Amino acid sequence: MSEGRIAVVTGAARGIGRTIGDCLVATGYTVIGVDVSDQLAETDFDPVQADLTTDGGLDAVSERVDTIDGNLHLLVNNAGITRDARLVNMARDEFTAVLEVNLGAVFRLSTRLRDDIVTGGSIVNMASRAYLGNFGQFNYSMSKGGVVGLTRAMALELAPRVRVNAIAPGLIATEMSMGIPDDIRGKMVDAIPMGRMGEPDEIADTVLFLAGAGYITGHVIVVDGGRSLSR
Amino acid sequence: MNERIRVGEDLAAALSEPSGPVFQAIPTDDTWEACVSELTEAYEMSRRAVEAGEPLVYVVHNDDLLGRRGAGAAMVATGLLSAARTLALETAREGIPVNVIAIDDETAVERLAIWVGRLLESGGPTGELVHLTAGHLGKALA
Repeated sequence: MSEGRIAVVTGAARGIGRTIGDCLVATGYTVIGVDVSDQLAETDFDPVQADLTTDGGLDAVSERVDTIDGNLHLLVNNAGITRDARLVNMARDEFTAVLEVNLGAVFRLSTRLRDDIVTGGSIVNMASRAYLGNFGQFNYSMSKGGVVGLTRAMALELAPRVRVNAIAPGLIATEMSMGIPDDIRGKMVDAIPMGRMGEPDEIADTVLFLAGAGYITGHVIVVDGGRSLSR
Repeated sequence: MNERIRVGEDLAAALSEPSGPVFQAIPTDDTWEACVSELTEAYEMSRRAVEAGEPLVYVVHNDDLLGRRGAGAAMVATGLLSAARTLALETAREGIPVNVIAIDDETAVERLAIWVGRLLESGGPTGELVHLTAGHLGKALA
């Protein structure tokens, strides 16, 4: 094996995950980009098209980690979905789908790869500001809260060999958020003290910071422009 | 057991007629199947509570909020805390409280039952995490 640094990034085909992967490539990582979509062909990543809610999808990622040249330094659990509704209107399949992708896949992939990560490596989980509570997102909020608990538990279990942290982004300028109607998005931005949406590379910068922050483990960094303080 | 309470045997005995649903996280093993089963049960009870316009209390262990007893129990406890905050936002306008109580192994069940009763009263706090333990002090909880 070479001394090459490998990173696995899930949800890497677009949005925040794509930017995280691009930034890691730019800093010398070989990135195994994982996504359920086929858009990975357009990236500089070593692509694995996989559904991480299935055993086959998890197998595909761990097999690629086993065979690629280099050492696994970083796992970024970024993939996530939303199925928003007030709880009173939330169907069970909407609840389950979000739990399976946003929490189940994070737990199962981290469990699969934890022993492959080199000493000094780390896991960065993508939580969300919604873990502090967000109207119409019982499922999403629960899943991201679960990610915070998973981060704490794995940080204790894997220390001192591997660190585990989480990032809780607020409203970030991605294809998904730009799909929000202008008037609604405008009100959301008005509530952000920094007066703008976050940029994907600001989340990627936080991933890079945590990847190198050798004395931080088990914590959540909220990257939301101050939104968790404002009305 | 009363279908409006899903709690341990000790608390069930102390909670004869709660004025709303109570869901106590039961420690799970570290499998996804156990974790999602527990969270799905919480979803179903919570949805019934919302439909009935009833207040709701979740009970979790402080060690699980901090991830000390394994990933499965941690995912359930912190997932419930976040869900409670969201549900509190959704029901605030109707004045329906949704809260979380954190306990430890030393928390007397009678004391827990008293606090469950208080938090099920209308007009009380909502979206709160009430610690019936000092184990959270100086620790990283949000």
